[in-house]
Amino acid sequence: MRNLTTTKENSWCPGCGNFGIFNAVKKSIESLVEMGEPMENIVMSSGIGCHGKMFDYLNISGIFGLHGRAMAGASGIKIANPNLKVIVFGGDGDSMGEGLEHTLFAAKRNIDLTMILHNNGVYGLTTGQASPLSLTGYRGLSTPQGNLETPFHTLGLIMEAGASFVARAYSARIPQLSELITQAVLHKGFSFIEVLQPCVSYNNTYDLYNSKTKNLAGIPASDEEAIKLAKDENDIYLGVFRQEQRPVFDQEVQSKARAMDRQERFAYLESRQF
Amino acid sequence: MHRGIFSVLIGGKAGEGVKKAAQVIAQIAMDHDNFIFQADDYQSAIKGAHNFSIVSIAKERLYSAYKRVDLVVSFDKKSVLKHNPALSENGVHFCDEKDSIEGCIGLPLNRLMKEHYTTGANLSLSAVAIFACLAGLPKEELAELIASEFRRNQEENISFAKAVYDEVLALDLALCCDLNNPGVKAPRKGYTGNQLISLGAWAAGLDSYYSYPMTPASSILHFYAKYRDELGVVAIHTESELAAANMAIGAILAGSKAAVGSSGGGVALMQEAFSLAGMVEAPLLVFLSSRPGPATGASTYTAQEDLNFALYQGHGEFPRIVASPDSYERALSLSAELLDIAWETQSPAILLTEKHLSECMYNMDLDASGLPQTEPVMKKPASPYHRYAFTDDGVSPLKYPGERNASAEDVIKWNSNEHTEDGVRADDADEIIAMKDKRKKKQDLINKLSRNYQRVAEYGESELIVFAYGSTVLELREAQKYHDFKLIAPIYLDPFPAEELEKYRGKKAVVVEHSAMPNFSGFLRAKLGIEVIKDVLRYDGRPFDADELVNILKEAKNA
Repeated sequence: MRNLTTTKENSWCPGCGNFGIFNAVKKSIESLVEMGEPMENIVMSSGIGCHGKMFDYLNISGIFGLHGRAMAGASGIKIANPNLKVIVFGGDGDSMGEGLEHTLFAAKRNIDLTMILHNNGVYGLTTGQASPLSLTGYRGLSTPQGNLETPFHTLGLIMEAGASFVARAYSARIPQLSELITQAVLHKGFSFIEVLQPCVSYNNTYDLYNSKTKNLAGIPASDEEAIKLAKDENDIYLGVFRQEQRPVFDQEVQSKARAMDRQERFAYLESRQF
Repeated sequence: MHRGIFSVLIGGKAGEGVKKAAQVIAQIAMDHDNFIFQADDYQSAIKGAHNFSIVSIAKERLYSAYKRVDLVVSFDKKSVLKHNPALSENGVHFCDEKDSIEGCIGLPLNRLMKEHYTTGANLSLSAVAIFACLAGLPKEELAELIASEFRRNQEENISFAKAVYDEVLALDLALCCDLNNPGVKAPRKGYTGNQLISLGAWAAGLDSYYSYPMTPASSILHFYAKYRDELGVVAIHTESELAAANMAIGAILAGSKAAVGSSGGGVALMQEAFSLAGMVEAPLLVFLSSRPGPATGASTYTAQEDLNFALYQGHGEFPRIVASPDSYERALSLSAELLDIAWETQSPAILLTEKHLSECMYNMDLDASGLPQTEPVMKKPASPYHRYAFTDDGVSPLKYPGERNASAEDVIKWNSNEHTEDGVRADDADEIIAMKDKRKKKQDLINKLSRNYQRVAEYGESELIVFAYGSTVLELREAQKYHDFKLIAPIYLDPFPAEELEKYRGKKAVVVEHSAMPNFSGFLRAKLGIEVIKDVLRYDGRPFDADELVNILKEAKNA
């Protein structure tokens, strides 16, 4: 198997949660390939922010898109070739702010791709402004008096939008994260993993997550139970919150027409009265 | 008849089937080897607002509809009052008896509807029946046509239409539209510009279309969606225009020939993605059908305010192609040409048009002989693969992810950040310069490939030179039947066809365009140094008709 790390010099801060996600993804790709998935079928898409640098360091095909549009680009890739396994990397500013519409619509459509949400609760690369997932009261350059808004509840939102596989992981627990990514990629339909990710420079949450994270006993029996556990602030639950099957958009939307080359299309154009 | 052309106007409330009635009348005319041009004037409303459609019918090719009409059918009082003044000297105007005014024939349309329908009454059939009677179409032919064109309530439709026909017959009016056109075989099908744009790109291999509805571009989305399982184009109504453009670029990465389309407002939302297409070198085809702006503007009318917007689409510097069809035939061929040039040069392209061409109907035969006959030249990728490999002409070979196209060793990276040959982010000054130079080089290839096609159309011969582009050319070609001038229509706008137009440098000319702040005129002055003797500007959202243009151009000549 080819080396999954590019030669690009790494510029994440030492201790950044992105390293954990990077290592977990590489492990997942290795195990997917071992399970028989051709390496050339694995494609990534990322937005703009610290998470986006994954594109420069991870040696797989894909697109380093515009801020907020990683999911839109990935959706086009998947619709164009449903055989591909598409992993979308998004930051909390990128995918829950600028590009929230695409995240929700991917869940609504149940398009068969995997989103890894790097939730560090802050805009890291632009030096620490409040993100859509920052806590009320968070002080950053754009909210020096404290964030007035309440954060989105990521998992509740994505479950309500219709995601068919929903999980949460912690960037410092690499084996569990890697296992969840593999499961998510193999899931038929839209899969979403919220990864709790400390930002050592602007929002260091290692102590919080080390003390409060706890594994789910199993997939919750109902949506109500899943959402209740996902919103629990005393125990921060990790694991799979929902896994269900429903029709997959990128399969359903395909044309049933046979492929025609240019000369066939020309002949058809002239003979067919539209 | 006005100028030997018979024009029918049908007016009524939105939801009354005005446009459908006009289409059926146009079909009757085409079925008898006549040429037609249908223009629909409607407002942004589902029910109630005033709509009207004009069908002009002629023995020879028609490029536009006429505002002086020979038959008016009004479905309400508002239409009666609004359109009575448009009647030609020997014209006839019909309406319901309760709405009648002097010079307008009242028919018991509402009474007949009550008599012939138990449910689903369709007033629009009365217009078809009136026309059929005055054009001498046998009643049984009318019945057959109604049965095939209106699927619901067939029996009641036919009995209502026959009753209206009999009422008109009893008036013993002279036949006013002679449908016979001996010796001529006119095309039997009418197409809107949007249908031709859709078919042109499809013929050149379009695989997918991503769009959010916006008048007057929506019918492209509707067309591809309707024919998905026949033509093989995947049509996606996306959550927004931003989604459409970014999804299309993703699809292109995976090897799908993709296009997007909207009007000015929607394309404005695609600007950042258009710039992304420039950066990642995605051959994104954009259909931009204009309406009056700014902002929401006048959503159902025509305009040419977006020329500069199209030419300067997207932030940052990168080559692109912008062209505008000057005819219905060109809408078909240009759409194919632009998809091909975009793919061969891996550059975004814009097909700029207007509501007038997008939505008006014109009869023609679908003929592929004017389309690019061969596939665009695609370079063979080398191994190891580098997405942005430097080459002589700036175009790097394309390879698509997936086991059918790539090997396990291939890494295909498209990057919105400035990048190196392998698609990884670049920050070094030398790397930035090298990649900018690579993209810049593609301009020469774009120029070269555009010369494979007709870049300027010229019509007529005269001392008087008139410049126009887009569907304004259609309006002027109709006016040329009555007044001599030389009409010059650039089709390609970027690259600017300088070689073809050089002979007009510094010449005196009239410029006709649908804008208030003459942007096409300014563009020609800057590119060609022409001396504009008159800017003919129309910015009320309505098309010119031939009579209006003839009067304006006569004045211009005397000035």
